Amino acid sequence: MIEAARKSNERALAKLISHVEDRKPGWKDIMKAIYAETGRTCVIGVTGSPGSGKSSLVSEFAKQLGDMGYAIGIIAVDPSSPFSGGAVLGDRIRMRDISTYKNIFIRSMATRGMLGGLCQAARDVVRIMDFAGRDIVIIETVGVGQDEIEVVSASDYVVLVTYPGGGDSVQAIKAGVMEIADIFVVNKCDRDGADVIVSEISAMLDLSTETVEKIPPVIKTSTFTKEGIDKFMEILSEFIQKKEKGLHFQEEHVRQEVMSILETEMVSLIKEKISSDGNMEKELKLILSGKSDPYSVADELIKRVAGI
Amino acid sequence: MGQDSKIRVLVAKPGLDGHERGAHVVAYGLRDEGFEVIYTGLRQTPEQIVSAAVQEDVDVIGLSILSGAHLSLTKKIMEGLKAKGANDVLVTVGGVIPEEDKKTLEEMGVAGVFTSGSKIKDIAALIRTKLGKNA
Amino acid sequence: MKKNSKEEIKEALKKWEDEILNPRVKKFNLDKSPTSFYTPLSWDNSHFLEKVGFPGQFPFTAGNNPFDFWRAYANFAAKAGFRSDWGGSGKSGKYGGFGTPADYRDYLFKMQSMGRYGGPNIAFDLATQCGYDSDSSFAEGEVGRVGVAVDSMQDFAVIYEAYTGNLEIDKVPSNFTINAPAAVIIAMYACLAKKRGIPLNKLEGTPQNDILKEFIARGTYIYPPAPSLRLFRDTCVFCCKNMPALNINSIGGYHIREAGATRVQDLAFSMANGIAYIEAGLEGGLEVDEFVPAFTFNAFGGSMEIYQEIAFQRAARRVWAHILRDRFHAKNPKSMQIRQPITAHIGCSSATLQRPLNNLARAVVGGIAAGMSGGIAGAFPPFDEPLGLGHSQEATQLQQDASRILIYEAKVTDICDPWAGSYFMESLTDEIEKDALAELEKIEKMGGAVAAIENGYMPRAVAKSAYDRQKKIENQEELVVGVNCFTGEHEIDVSINRVVEATYDPELMKTAEERQKANLARLKRERNGTAVVSSLRSLKVQAEDKDKNLMPAICECVENDATLQEICDVLREVFGEAQPMKL
Ligand SMILES: Nc1nc2c(ncn2[C@@H]2O[C@H](COP(=O)(O)OP(=O)(O)OP(=O)(O)O)[C@@H](O)[C@H]2O)c(=O)[nH]1
Ligand SMILES: [Mg+2]
Repeated sequence: MIEAARKSNERALAKLISHVEDRKPGWKDIMKAIYAETGRTCVIGVTGSPGSGKSSLVSEFAKQLGDMGYAIGIIAVDPSSPFSGGAVLGDRIRMRDISTYKNIFIRSMATRGMLGGLCQAARDVVRIMDFAGRDIVIIETVGVGQDEIEVVSASDYVVLVTYPGGGDSVQAIKAGVMEIADIFVVNKCDRDGADVIVSEISAMLDLSTETVEKIPPVIKTSTFTKEGIDKFMEILSEFIQKKEKGLHFQEEHVRQEVMSILETEMVSLIKEKISSDGNMEKELKLILSGKSDPYSVADELIKRVAGI
Repeated sequence: MGQDSKIRVLVAKPGLDGHERGAHVVAYGLRDEGFEVIYTGLRQTPEQIVSAAVQEDVDVIGLSILSGAHLSLTKKIMEGLKAKGANDVLVTVGGVIPEEDKKTLEEMGVAGVFTSGSKIKDIAALIRTKLGKNA
Repeated sequence: MKKNSKEEIKEALKKWEDEILNPRVKKFNLDKSPTSFYTPLSWDNSHFLEKVGFPGQFPFTAGNNPFDFWRAYANFAAKAGFRSDWGGSGKSGKYGGFGTPADYRDYLFKMQSMGRYGGPNIAFDLATQCGYDSDSSFAEGEVGRVGVAVDSMQDFAVIYEAYTGNLEIDKVPSNFTINAPAAVIIAMYACLAKKRGIPLNKLEGTPQNDILKEFIARGTYIYPPAPSLRLFRDTCVFCCKNMPALNINSIGGYHIREAGATRVQDLAFSMANGIAYIEAGLEGGLEVDEFVPAFTFNAFGGSMEIYQEIAFQRAARRVWAHILRDRFHAKNPKSMQIRQPITAHIGCSSATLQRPLNNLARAVVGGIAAGMSGGIAGAFPPFDEPLGLGHSQEATQLQQDASRILIYEAKVTDICDPWAGSYFMESLTDEIEKDALAELEKIEKMGGAVAAIENGYMPRAVAKSAYDRQKKIENQEELVVGVNCFTGEHEIDVSINRVVEATYDPELMKTAEERQKANLARLKRERNGTAVVSSLRSLKVQAEDKDKNLMPAICECVENDATLQEICDVLREVFGEAQPMKL
């Protein structure tokens, strides 16, 4: 499977992704095996409010990058239902035009309620696509949950999409997303009100950014009339070319990743230990009957788990 | 870290027929059965459906066709899957399917045909049984 | 006898509940009573004139007319044995279409030789409905399948070779079930009349031309909602100025309900769409009473719940009348009326595949609802509808007889609005009206129908409702006979002989695509290429200017034998393409 995926066989690549995403036995060995051959892909994160046109925009620029000769991978993340654990993943609807492009591979991914694990799982999928020869990987997530923001923040380049008419669009941009954006796109500029949003965002950036050089560009686009798409492509290609020449692994990213793997592994270790240890029932009873408190119990459990 | 496997289903409407009710109901229903449903919307070509099924590594494709073109469309999709080595993907067909066409579809390798009045629970059960998965 | 006062009734009601109702509920161990009873407390009749009024008067709750045209001649028709064209109504023929234009023309000739003289009621194939020519890759497998393929003016003219002489187009009406490319088909119709030397103001008929509901229900859209509405505006102005006898559109509650909408959503969404169409016409410079009388509605309604469907028709008439009078200041009563050939009915989605003959009983329920709410007591659809193989002679005969029995034997339509003043029906009518207005307000807050389509609200709401209903059927909250109850082994599936008369020739269907592609190739070879290019170019220039009416330019393209897709492609380029909805 690994060998076939390396040759960019679509089916093998897809199966490899499932294996790792499902955390099937041996998934970590796969990741270990391919790690050395990764790190050259350029990761573009696209986030923004629901319905702002992220998928439409991704479809548009992925096609153009594809035409320029890049092999593209797209990861489209949508939330899982907290009730059933199932999901309806619909981003592909907007990517119809590129769904049969030879050098574009699209994968939908559900958040699966993974405690902070989404970020790592998405990172793993990026890495597999990287290994399978994708020059550029694009990740789309809705900019609402903390997890999802974390996913894009691990990318090399972050595109933040807003649009006129989406309520208080600018106010709605979450703190934390604003800071990580490398470019602001005001989409649906075929509608009234795009200019107002552009100036509001620019004003906000002027206030919060120290040096003029660091102020990210704010542009208007329309995936309907194609206005502004050229400009967007220009800025994006410039970045991609820079990245192609630049550093591969950045120390900070690597540190983050190790921490993130550690966190998820620790949490699941703790959970395993606790469930094999009577599922905290004894401790909970103590708290409920007023004989102990959640803080002491947590301290106690950490001591026990760390002792293994 | 524990295994977290989900049944993945592609719900697709091939052809130009725009009656989405059945597809929507099945997509929501299977989501509530805990499946991950990839919904690709209207007007999918057989090539798009095959390509989505491969890239998304789905276990099942649920086709919804009400235009009467079910035989030719399904045939193309089955052939496309085979060509990509993905003929282990289960294919089900829903829509207005006359009794005599059901058999033809089954002969093509379709795992289940669902017409008006079918229950989501039955669709889900059939998928679970055929896949031998309980996720 | 002394008049009852409200207090007396209230007191008596309380007493009845305590002494009769509640003990009985308790006796049977129920949480609440399975039935309801209404009293003068449920509805205050002191505003009878404003809320109900007389049939044919504002707000039209009691009906558009004291009696309709058909009712005036009903007895005469019975004695004469008049049979409206098979499956059609009035002067229009049976809805249909298949194969190439020549295939369909020949079929129509055959029908005429069997005495079926209704006007063209054309179903177009899906490629045509979606703006693709027969040689497009999107058309593969679809050509001539669910309707006839029309790629050009020449194709259109071939179909109409079946309509000359006594059936000339100024003598029979034409119906076109087409939405996104409606402007092109209307242009073809106008162009045909011109070629035949028939004045445009003599043309009758109805193009469906209801593009907004395509985004909510049927899915045959091409452009995004806003430019789609601009095209509607252009057809609206063109029809109004040049073809005053032609209806402008047929606004579809029917399809919205079939897609799964609740009654309240159906009413609210249809009203929101209607408002958008009125505003489009006004934007085109028309006066409200100049064009809204040419609006029609398409079989509003569609469920088995007989009381609710009756109340729904009454509420719908009142809501529309108020919108026209209060908001748009219409003066002409015709602007304020919901004109629809079919009124209440059960909807095709109520018909079941299981024990299909039961659908006759179901259709009768719809017929009663229609007859009791100001319409023809039509028992629609034929029982074999869900079998998906075409309606049989037998099913059509039973359907027609059922309607006749309701009209002549049961005399359902002898009373106008028989439920007027019923405490129950009036309060139910008020309730549906109130809920629909609240939903409508929600849509208006979003910015109206176009905004509520763009943001996915209306289509998604319908999908959710469809799913809710499915869940209710699966867990037996809603019972459907023969589907989720009474399915035991002793039940019998009653069947009768079914002959589907005059179906389309399957051999012709098989070769239609190839033959139509050859027709198209010949057209493209033989036409004046320069004229095509220049008329398409001028269409493009006009399309870029939002204020221009595109109909003259489209007429010119059509006359020069530009194809339907070529015209649509030019507009795609300028308007962009609509995207399917994300769930
Ligand atoms: N007017 C206008 N509408 C657009 C434009 N781009 C996208 N849309 C529409 O906006 C809606 C949402 O587009 P998507 O691309 O699905 O947006 P998204 O941000 O990916 O949505 P989610 O993934 O659901 O959060 C769709 O109806 C698009 O057709 C644009 O440039 N102009
Ligand atoms: Mg998206």
